[in-house]
Amino acid sequence: MASRYVERFSAKERVLHWFVTIAFFILVFSGLGLYSRLFTGWFDLFGGGKGAILFHKIAGLLFFASSLLLFLSHRKEITTFDEDDRDWVTKRGGYLSREEEHFNSGKFNAGQKLFGIFIGAATVALGVSGVFIWAPTAFPRLIVQFSLLLHGLTFVLAVMFVIVHIYLATIGNPGTLEGMLYGHVRRIWARKHHPKWYREVGE
Amino acid sequence: MGDTRVGFLIDTSRCIGCRSCQVACKQWNKLTVDETRNEGTFENPRDLTSQLYNRIRFVEGDDGKGGVKWSFFNERCLHCGEAGCMKVCPAPGALYRTHEGIVGYNAEKCISCKYCVSACPFNVPRYGGKEEKVSKCHLCLDRVQGGIAPACAKACPTETLKFGRRDDLVAKAKAAKKELYGENDLNGLGVVYALDAPPESYGLPKKPSIPMSIFLWKDVVKPLGILGFWGSIGAMLLHYVTVGPKKLEDENGTQGGDHGK
Repeated sequence: MASRYVERFSAKERVLHWFVTIAFFILVFSGLGLYSRLFTGWFDLFGGGKGAILFHKIAGLLFFASSLLLFLSHRKEITTFDEDDRDWVTKRGGYLSREEEHFNSGKFNAGQKLFGIFIGAATVALGVSGVFIWAPTAFPRLIVQFSLLLHGLTFVLAVMFVIVHIYLATIGNPGTLEGMLYGHVRRIWARKHHPKWYREVGE
Repeated sequence: MGDTRVGFLIDTSRCIGCRSCQVACKQWNKLTVDETRNEGTFENPRDLTSQLYNRIRFVEGDDGKGGVKWSFFNERCLHCGEAGCMKVCPAPGALYRTHEGIVGYNAEKCISCKYCVSACPFNVPRYGGKEEKVSKCHLCLDRVQGGIAPACAKACPTETLKFGRRDDLVAKAKAAKKELYGENDLNGLGVVYALDAPPESYGLPKKPSIPMSIFLWKDVVKPLGILGFWGSIGAMLLHYVTVGPKKLEDENGTQGGDHGK
């Protein structure tokens, strides 16, 4: 019998994913104090507000480049939706009921595709607004003011989506995290969650 | 504030454009010169800088007889009662309000984020120097707290700049039937103007307010964001204990799904 596992993510994909993750969390922690005075204490992690801004700028560049690369390298698979994806969206991925629902998903289900597209769009929104916030005196005030709003709004949405992402990829769907940690997932997992993909690669 | 709040009443009809206020301010605050160019106007410098806390704006108009009519306007930090700069400043103590209602700043605590530049309804704060720290008119709070008038008011030869308790200044101006700008806007400006032309002609907003994007950012997105953060975490926990995770069947038992066969 073949191995119990099938490969899901290559080493390159995994490294890129965790690179984006680390940059993301550096950005969150260095940005918290800038977001609100409720979180001023987080500045201490970076040796004060000036340090936090410096870390935020460097991590911002790294996040923008790596996240955009991650998006572009999967652009085709995550921006095409078929009938099965529509079915997933209609039934909310089966997450709202205890009844077992089955979806004929490919490598990524509709929710994962939407999350990928959102993060891609958020990367661009945060990156572009970030440039204006970086050097506010070099740009018209209205653009900088709007950028501050857009940056804050996109940040909030990104954090909320990432919380859902983390939940679904860990305790919400046991067996999923293995794919991003070791690169392979159990066949039983692949058959249950991504049958169309499993038929292509596993059998 | 209230009782103890100090401020200026600036009566533009009295200003003769001598710029003593600019010079006195530079002298007291030990500010250096800015290099300027002759651009065909007497207005100089053309904008506030990190080394220029107040200046006279020269507004040129038509006197109706084919000549030029000048209006002079003293431009500076207005020490808003509800200050946009303080609203957005993430560095505790960098911008602060004194007992006298003055919006002061402490450059050592400034982290150079420049949010205040975007949040000021009047585009006043400036950044400069190698350290890129905030600077603006602080109403000579060192002098005021020592019991004397700010340098600019002391130097003004026509009493265009009147310094004193804000309540007294406003009451006096009202008794003189002056049209006031900034009496109640933004919780009352610390610097109230008696303008002899519409505010727009001096480049002032008709009705000053915190910029809309800044209001939405700080008063809508920020609180909703904190709600959204905890809401998301709560929703995930709730999902875990109600709907529950999508568990895999035991591999030796039944299969996880029989579709795709």
